Amino acid sequence: MTSIATQQARAPGAAAAQAAPAGRRRLGRKGRERLAAALFLLPDGLGLALFVVLPMLLSFLLSFFQVSGFGSYEWIGVGNYERMVNDPYFWSSMGVTAKYVVLMVPTLFVVSLSLGVLMKQMLPGMSVYRTALFLPHMLSLVVVGLLWKFMLDDQTGVVNKAGGELGLGARSWLGDPGLALYAVIAVTVWYYMGYYMIIFLAGLNEIPRELYEAARIDGAGPWTSFRRITWPLLKPTSFFVLIVSTVAAITGTFDLIFVLTDGGPANGTAVAMFYIYQQAFVFGEYGYAAALGSFLVLVMVALSWLIFKATKGGRFDDE
Amino acid sequence: MSSDTLAGGGPAARPTPLRGPGRRRARAGLTVLAIVVSVLSIFPVLWLITSALKPREAVTDGKLLPDDVTWENFRYVLTEVAFDRWLWNSFFTAAIITVLALFFHSMAAYALARLRFPGRDGIFVVIFSTLLITPPVILIPLFIVVREMGMLDSYAALIIPAIFNAFGIFLLRQFYLGIPRELEEAAIADGAGYWRIYRSIILPLSRPILSALSVFFFLANWNAFAWPLVATSSENLTVTQVGIASFTTQYGSNWNYILAAAVVAVIPMLMLFLFFQRQMVESIKTSGLK
Amino acid sequence: MLQHGNGAVPARGAPSRRRFLGGTAGAAAATAAAATPLLSGCGGSASADGGTLKFWHFYDPKASDPAMVAQSKWFDQLIKGWNDTHDVKIEPYFVPGVSYQGSKMVTAFAAGAGPDIFLLSPGDFTRYYNGGILADLTPHLDDGVVEDYGTSLTSRTVDGKVYALPMEVEPLAMFYNVPVWEKAGLSEADIPTTWDQLLDTGDKIRSKTGAAGLVFHTDPGYYQNFTWYCWMWQGGGEVVDKAGNVAFDSKGARQALALWQDAVEAGIAPRTLPAADDRITAFTSDLAGMWQIGIWEVQAFKAGAPDHEYGVFKLPVPPGGEYTTTLGGWSFCASTQGANPDAAAEFCGWALGGMSDESIDRTVEWCTGVKSDISPRTSALERGAERGGYDSWAMKTFKEDIFPGGRAEPRYPPIVYKAISDAIQATMLAGKGVDGEADRAAQTIDAFLKSYQGASLI
Repeated sequence: MTSIATQQARAPGAAAAQAAPAGRRRLGRKGRERLAAALFLLPDGLGLALFVVLPMLLSFLLSFFQVSGFGSYEWIGVGNYERMVNDPYFWSSMGVTAKYVVLMVPTLFVVSLSLGVLMKQMLPGMSVYRTALFLPHMLSLVVVGLLWKFMLDDQTGVVNKAGGELGLGARSWLGDPGLALYAVIAVTVWYYMGYYMIIFLAGLNEIPRELYEAARIDGAGPWTSFRRITWPLLKPTSFFVLIVSTVAAITGTFDLIFVLTDGGPANGTAVAMFYIYQQAFVFGEYGYAAALGSFLVLVMVALSWLIFKATKGGRFDDE
Repeated sequence: MSSDTLAGGGPAARPTPLRGPGRRRARAGLTVLAIVVSVLSIFPVLWLITSALKPREAVTDGKLLPDDVTWENFRYVLTEVAFDRWLWNSFFTAAIITVLALFFHSMAAYALARLRFPGRDGIFVVIFSTLLITPPVILIPLFIVVREMGMLDSYAALIIPAIFNAFGIFLLRQFYLGIPRELEEAAIADGAGYWRIYRSIILPLSRPILSALSVFFFLANWNAFAWPLVATSSENLTVTQVGIASFTTQYGSNWNYILAAAVVAVIPMLMLFLFFQRQMVESIKTSGLK
Repeated sequence: MLQHGNGAVPARGAPSRRRFLGGTAGAAAATAAAATPLLSGCGGSASADGGTLKFWHFYDPKASDPAMVAQSKWFDQLIKGWNDTHDVKIEPYFVPGVSYQGSKMVTAFAAGAGPDIFLLSPGDFTRYYNGGILADLTPHLDDGVVEDYGTSLTSRTVDGKVYALPMEVEPLAMFYNVPVWEKAGLSEADIPTTWDQLLDTGDKIRSKTGAAGLVFHTDPGYYQNFTWYCWMWQGGGEVVDKAGNVAFDSKGARQALALWQDAVEAGIAPRTLPAADDRITAFTSDLAGMWQIGIWEVQAFKAGAPDHEYGVFKLPVPPGGEYTTTLGGWSFCASTQGANPDAAAEFCGWALGGMSDESIDRTVEWCTGVKSDISPRTSALERGAERGGYDSWAMKTFKEDIFPGGRAEPRYPPIVYKAISDAIQATMLAGKGVDGEADRAAQTIDAFLKSYQGASLI
């Protein structure tokens, strides 16, 4: 095997490998594997370094500055972080974020996993259902916000009208601080469920069918085969969905909130990201916003680490 | 067992372990459930479409069916503003981003999942950590980086920074972890190099997941707003969402036009989804392995 | 500017550290930039291309509303007039309204690529001034112009220097919906003049028609504060007193908070804006009976629902109170960090700060020709009236009844704004106690004022 491999050595970009000096070809299998990995990682590595990591580092650096919003920067050390510790708005926005994440992420996980499993069954008209479930995600968040603002309207909204038919009183879904966050959560789940359903479907499709056949012959019911086969083998996907939806819940919902509630009523939907956006782009406190953002990244790192631990790295094999 | 039955829902063999009359009842129940959730999911979108057919003063009347149907909103959107230009810009940028991103991300994910090299886990952690960015916070530094590269207000500004995203790398890595090692071993025994393994084994196996990702990437960039808004200022670089934003003014908003524009903008996405959905749900195991 | 435990205010216009960020990013990006010469397109920064100055505004030249197109043309003509007679050229640039004050402008300014000339709302004045971005326009004003503007300049002046020139004055009033009033059995004779009457009327509308009785703005933000201040002033309340001390925890502020709270708790005022804040639709679809809006809505009705019957009356007053309303309106500003700050400031002075007929007529045309506003200049107000700009019933009411006694929107910095906004939101929508919230806001403002250095807030 070794001799054949050496003979046919091909690094990524066959041409590049061909043009490489003779010495390169004599690299051992290990060396070639490393070289290949480096080349495979190069384009994304460069791009991420330049357009994501560098701006992240710059923003971290800026968190030690007082930024007027008009291009003047003044070093204030950990001043922004001290301010953060004593900022009741920020901590209340972290509270709203925590509540949002704790309620939204598990709901979204269960709903989209159930939809994925449901859509895996061979029912007539399956592609129609799949399209219907993914359709909400094709809209932009601004339009989604607008749409639901109309549907949840106090006076004319279809939700209150349907509630009226059922004998329930009209409620101010977006105007009552006790309800607004739940309304936002419902809209988020509706918007993302088709998206994560597709990801779960892709994961489900990876599970060899023979396993189910074997389980059936052993007399296992649907729940048993879900628990014994689907759930364990779906772990890499579940891990991915859990991490990505948690991160998205923390960093990505603020544009929806902008349209739906503007952070109101009474800061009821002012999640941390909304507050950070406000500091940066409404109050021009860019350095402070950068400090808050850096802290949020830290929180997410901790959360990811927890999820990583809990799922044993989300690896399919034990490597 | 072909992938067609999976996508098309034909009555052939399937994974559900149920058989007999109980199975039929269960299937009927599941079908009803699927219909109910689909209707729930699609109802607001239907409402969007019918509202786009209402005149301005009826847009917020809360009725599903319009009293008077008007095409005026669509006429306005399609003829009075440069909507075709906006759509083209969105399409052009989203398409290029999607193709390049899929290519680069699958390469990186292959290395991270299947190749052995020192620092692999460290590199993965660094890449993963870029997933944790807080987008508004890096907006200003990114703007400055792009400006220093002289790319502001060009297609390059719309396209290049949008390609790089840990989401795709992460998802693909998770999938590549599950590919049985024997496949590669066999190829290596045949004398294939890594590039060939990637091209002729990994890529074909990734077709379903790449199809899903291409829909996701295209969609995300089709609906992009925040970055195109700050990165471009020329009229001929206006993308759809930035264009639609001009229907909202300081002194009131033309919701009717926004809704009509949203309906028009969703049509290409729907077509894309329908085109890719069969491949998206194909099984890797059945299409790639025997 | 909003230092916490750190007293230094950045020197106005000090360029020392401005390029720090750009430099760092630049060094890191340089390698990659060199590797991708093909991608470097045309640079877009306004300041970078030297000669031409950029004027950012939010009047869409391609809007569906012909009024807005006319307003956009007003800018074009103004700029053409300048370009025909001056060496330094100016270019208009339209930014959609929703994004104007948001990420687009902030990012551009933060990166030193902001506009040379731009429009500023009063609420943002202090932040921009303290950031050192506003150029002094005083040297470019003709003699007598400051007097001609009178009190409309107060909130744009610091230490006797003018940093922004208002193009319009926009007073708030109560708009009422005639068809809904008729349905509720109300007529012109029922126009409320006191707060109690206002609530009564709103209650009648709500109970008899199901429409929102009375709409106060509900979304938190600068605009909500703007619409609320006048209710506080009417009862003698202040945020900051003449000596610069906090005065928020006062009867005037508490009763204004209570008014909004009572209206919401009694179901007279809605918790969210009818028709998602599309006032024209809310009125034509009988969704609202009264709505506190600004003079600009006159123009909106003309364009969007010319046949709809509505009325306007001045804000009712509390017992023992004195009538006032908040006056909004945007102004021209020049950036100190643009390509040519002098020329930019000169442009603002040339456009709106001359005593020539041409300059006065510009304001007349803006306020009574292409828009419906009160003119900020006495001369232009008179001239506009002579030419029939205030002959229509609505404009006449605004000029003669509503505008006199009005007071300019204050220029509180973000922390003060936020403290007040929180008090309004918590009392109005979360049912929190008025006394406690007023006290809490007062303490927050007090703590802030102790370390505040910057433009005076009075």
